[in-house]
Amino acid sequence: MSEEKNAKLSRRDFLKVAGLAGVAVQAGGLFAGGVAAGSDKESYTGWESFNPATMFFNREPFRIESPAHSPKGEVRQPSHITDYVFGRVAMFQKALMEKQDWVLGDPVDDLPLPPPVLAFYNQYPERLEWDYKTFTETIPNHDIDYKEYGNYFLLAEVYRSGFAYHGGNLPKAHTPPEHSDFHMMVAAGPGAPMQEVPLRDPIPFKSPDLAAELIKELAHRYGATMVAITKPNIDFFYGDGWGGCDTDYDHSKLPEHWTHAIMIGVPMEWDQIVAGPQFTASYDAYDRVSTAAVRIEGMLKGMGYAARANTPMTHYDCLMPPHAIEAGLGEVGRTGYCITPEAGGNSRMAMIVTNLEMTTDKPIDIGVANFCSKCKICAEQCPSGAISMADSPEEQEWGTGSVLRGYEHWYINNGACYNYWRESMGNLGCRHCVSVCPYTRKDNWLHDMARELDPRDPTGVVSSGLLWMQKNFFDYPDAIEYRRPAEGGHFAVYGPEPYFMDAEKFLDIPLNNPSEGVK
Amino acid sequence: MFFNGNTFWFLNGIIFVVIVFGLKTFAEDKGWGMNWWKWLLSGIWYLIFSTGFYAWGTLTGENFPLAGFYTFLLFFVISIILGVGLWRLLALQPQSEAKEL
Repeated sequence: MSEEKNAKLSRRDFLKVAGLAGVAVQAGGLFAGGVAAGSDKESYTGWESFNPATMFFNREPFRIESPAHSPKGEVRQPSHITDYVFGRVAMFQKALMEKQDWVLGDPVDDLPLPPPVLAFYNQYPERLEWDYKTFTETIPNHDIDYKEYGNYFLLAEVYRSGFAYHGGNLPKAHTPPEHSDFHMMVAAGPGAPMQEVPLRDPIPFKSPDLAAELIKELAHRYGATMVAITKPNIDFFYGDGWGGCDTDYDHSKLPEHWTHAIMIGVPMEWDQIVAGPQFTASYDAYDRVSTAAVRIEGMLKGMGYAARANTPMTHYDCLMPPHAIEAGLGEVGRTGYCITPEAGGNSRMAMIVTNLEMTTDKPIDIGVANFCSKCKICAEQCPSGAISMADSPEEQEWGTGSVLRGYEHWYINNGACYNYWRESMGNLGCRHCVSVCPYTRKDNWLHDMARELDPRDPTGVVSSGLLWMQKNFFDYPDAIEYRRPAEGGHFAVYGPEPYFMDAEKFLDIPLNNPSEGVK
Repeated sequence: MFFNGNTFWFLNGIIFVVIVFGLKTFAEDKGWGMNWWKWLLSGIWYLIFSTGFYAWGTLTGENFPLAGFYTFLLFFVISIILGVGLWRLLALQPQSEAKEL
């Protein structure tokens, strides 16, 4: 009897010990499972597959009525030669070279610049200061730094060059929309010369709903991570410089056949983007989104519909973020670009305007505006101080007010921003605000939980809690550390550099790590 | 990879069954009289406790080990606090059994 009791007790004890051991084993297993989930390449949104599963966030509960943008003042179309930083600095550089004795403080009107650029500099004098600094200080200093440290970041440039080469060879519109959008370049066979042919008669769809459904499905298969449909808005088209158009072309109204716009987006490479600013590049996403857009243009033209791709590698006739926001791809953030649920700020956009009638999508509200008003990590981390630290667009510190070109908007000092582009190592540019944005997160259970919980929480407790964790649990350099050594920095990077960017491992060249010895 | 695959989660399920039987035996020996809400609260507590380890691993896999460890600590502290409350609740006798006594 006693033995039987002991055996019974022993079995019970075994179960209890086994249960406790199970807890320990499971804890270890879950840690290992977590490591696998965190490093899983399937979590690299937009880089895992070419199918609709890449757009995994259900936007329907968050739809709001159109339009997401309504004018708050006199609307002015953006300009390729003033608002668009590349256009402006190119003109400024040319003017400085022509008038080499001009120094900051001299009347800006002495510079041989077109009247719109002069008017712009008079309206935004801080841009003049930044653009001047870029060409007189920053670029010469960068040349010195590049000789010293450039090799350490060389693989970032190497990786980019493949995308740049391909993207640079994508077909562009060389004639006005009334002609180019109704013709396509085709070759009779491999190696045969390209010939321009008019489009066939349009193949009719059964309904606009089905047209939208098919186009979205194909867009994903052409490489678009995200896709949505809206209508083009002339307010967000440049008032000059449309692809294939002369200066006398009327840029103030949309061509009649630009009735619908297909917005697509892809993220930049995830291992790279976390290693900003020095190891990031835009060209991987530029090339991929441009390629997808050109494919969509070709497909639409093949069906007989007029189409024109607006892409970073071919040409932009218009601004992407407001159209993407109107299409419901995301919301505008403090940084001025479109924050999407799937990829956050890591979303590079393209747009295809067409005359195919499709059902349009509505904008969404996932709480980005509220979050951006309290987060400010991008502004705190910005090496150039180009992003506002204010609580709202009304309170922006540059005295610009909340209305930009007729619409309420965060103001970004793109002169300061561009200045750091020319200071940083690796590829031209920075993208650090993309790297640090708490919405820029991969597709794994941890971040998906945040994605789904936060927009459904009306109290804001979830976003405040997550923000607290972001600011207190993550250890990353201060803004000054991203600067050049002579400015008190060491060309720091936000996260660990990807192994495929490790020049020391792969290349037989002399290297100098600017962060060596820095804790 | 094993830790990403179905086999891993299948084995986790088996281990979870062992843990449940261990708790059942432990509760019986303690005379806790488990009912549905005690099992539910225990399950929720274990989910929170386990999430800490999984989150730690996930952030480590994303190359943010320190953030992962802090997240684990946060979940661990919450688990300890909730665990004390849960222990007391589990020790409560269900009303039907209390009346019988």
